[in-house]
Amino acid sequence: MSAIATFAGRARRHGSFRIGALLLLLFAGTALLSLFWTPHGAETVAMRLRLQPASATHWLGTDHLGRDVLSRIMVGAQTSIAVGLLAVTLGMGVGVALGAWAAARRGWVDEALSRSSDLIFAFPAVLIAILIASVLGASATNAVLAIAIFNVPVFARVTRGAALAMWGRDFVRAATAMGQGPLRITLRHILPNVASVLIVQATIQFAVAILAEAGLSYLGLGAQPPIPSWGRMLRDAQTYIFQSPELAIWPGLAIALAVLGLNMLGDGLRDLLDPRLRLMRVG
Amino acid sequence: MIEFLSRRFAAALLTLALATLLVFAVVEILPGDPALVMLGTDARPDTLAALRAKHGFDRPLGERYVSWIAGLLTGDLGASHAYGTPVAKLINDRLHVTLPLGAMALSWATLIAIPLGVYAAWRHNSAGDWGVMTFSQLGISIPNFWFGILLVLLFAVTLGWFPSGGFPGWKQDVGKSLHALVLPALSLSLGEIAILARVTRSAMLDTLREDYVRTARAKGAAEGAVLFRHALRNALIPVTTVAGLIAGFLIGGAVIIESVFRLPGVGSLVYDSINNRDLIVIKNVTILFTALVLAVNLLVDLAYAVLDPRPKVTA
Repeated sequence: MSAIATFAGRARRHGSFRIGALLLLLFAGTALLSLFWTPHGAETVAMRLRLQPASATHWLGTDHLGRDVLSRIMVGAQTSIAVGLLAVTLGMGVGVALGAWAAARRGWVDEALSRSSDLIFAFPAVLIAILIASVLGASATNAVLAIAIFNVPVFARVTRGAALAMWGRDFVRAATAMGQGPLRITLRHILPNVASVLIVQATIQFAVAILAEAGLSYLGLGAQPPIPSWGRMLRDAQTYIFQSPELAIWPGLAIALAVLGLNMLGDGLRDLLDPRLRLMRVG
Repeated sequence: MIEFLSRRFAAALLTLALATLLVFAVVEILPGDPALVMLGTDARPDTLAALRAKHGFDRPLGERYVSWIAGLLTGDLGASHAYGTPVAKLINDRLHVTLPLGAMALSWATLIAIPLGVYAAWRHNSAGDWGVMTFSQLGISIPNFWFGILLVLLFAVTLGWFPSGGFPGWKQDVGKSLHALVLPALSLSLGEIAILARVTRSAMLDTLREDYVRTARAKGAAEGAVLFRHALRNALIPVTTVAGLIAGFLIGGAVIIESVFRLPGVGSLVYDSINNRDLIVIKNVTILFTALVLAVNLLVDLAYAVLDPRPKVTA
């Protein structure tokens, strides 16, 4: 309990963590609220109200189909969170398993994993996501898959590196000497000790996934209409940039704030969870 | 050094070979029937059969792969499904826009980021350092295509200094063509400037603490000489690595940025090909871009060998 209290105390004093957590709360809170309430129907079309400027009824105005922009941004947060979270969870699940396996087995498993990671890193990520989404069809599910694939080598590398360092530690050697198998050691000793590194990485990858989802849906390869997504809203806004320039402001601002929040939270967590890094950064 | 570089070259070739297998699997095996993806599920059986015969989708997998690789080696990439013209010609024409765009973006990135990083490290913990770090944090978080739209709003819609999109063509007007690339290159380089400035700053902070820098200062060397001749040269090693990685991001980012600014480059060719379900074009562009990323990374290795003598001995 005291460890949690110490962490909370330090977290409260950490500027980057505080701003990041606040922005993340705003982001998640908006998505959650939109499940129950939005000012107007996010998919309600009203052609006679198209391209209206901000007003008391429509706080952020309306789009080219007369839909309420604020409501669409609120529901768009759900899409971003769902795609980002699923992609990172999927990529993390597979990547951590592979990385931990490579660190435990070494030899050819390790070599094969490193080479496959190099291969995936050699591809421009956006292009492979485009390739996958265009072959499998444009949908939020396929966007999740395309983004998840790039998270696998990231998590595999991070886990492998951190786990390899753990395998050399005395308490792990002691567990080996006591006859514990590699799976048991990985689950009971290695993974809990590399968890903080993984949490930091997951936060940063979540930010990357939100950017990737926005990019894919801007290209029309993410969630399909009428489901609101921030990237798609920007695409539509661009067509009407001369009539309603402000339409292009809000969805982009939403993406930037969400990503900024997660990046700052990630930086803060890295400082708070890894004292060695904190010393290095201060120095 | 030659041994080090030839080993890297062999590794890059192997990666490229594996990449062709992966792309082939994604495009030709994963969807079951590529013809169905290209024409849609409501296509007539005879049209499907004709397309399969035209692109060889009815031949055995191994044969298709070998003939694709042979085509890649001889420059015969087949004909685009949507345009009907040879893919090699389509790509070649559009590289005239994408390569200068990428080069301009990489130049922006290095010209802006390295001085910013050096300044932040030199004035460590000052307001200037804080400003650079805040800019870097924002630059990483802002989607480059939104930044592009904002630049259009400010410089094209409001001020009218730059065109909001389009490309006149090098043969028509070189000056106007360069002018049309300024905003796209700037938006493409935003994230890269942010990352590179951070890396330069932290690499400079490390080298500025080294004994030889202290010695140079003690011997009375001018501050500029200490920063740029002594510290930056060593700090450039990690910066070069990251610049190489960034080239890959730039190539991928070009797809979206060219679409924002309606530039007729390879990126917008990919975008059009997505809408036309032109798998033949997407497949070849992906391999071409992968080869480009690998080539850039080989150049980075070469730059390493020039900047730092150590890899020559250890590798």
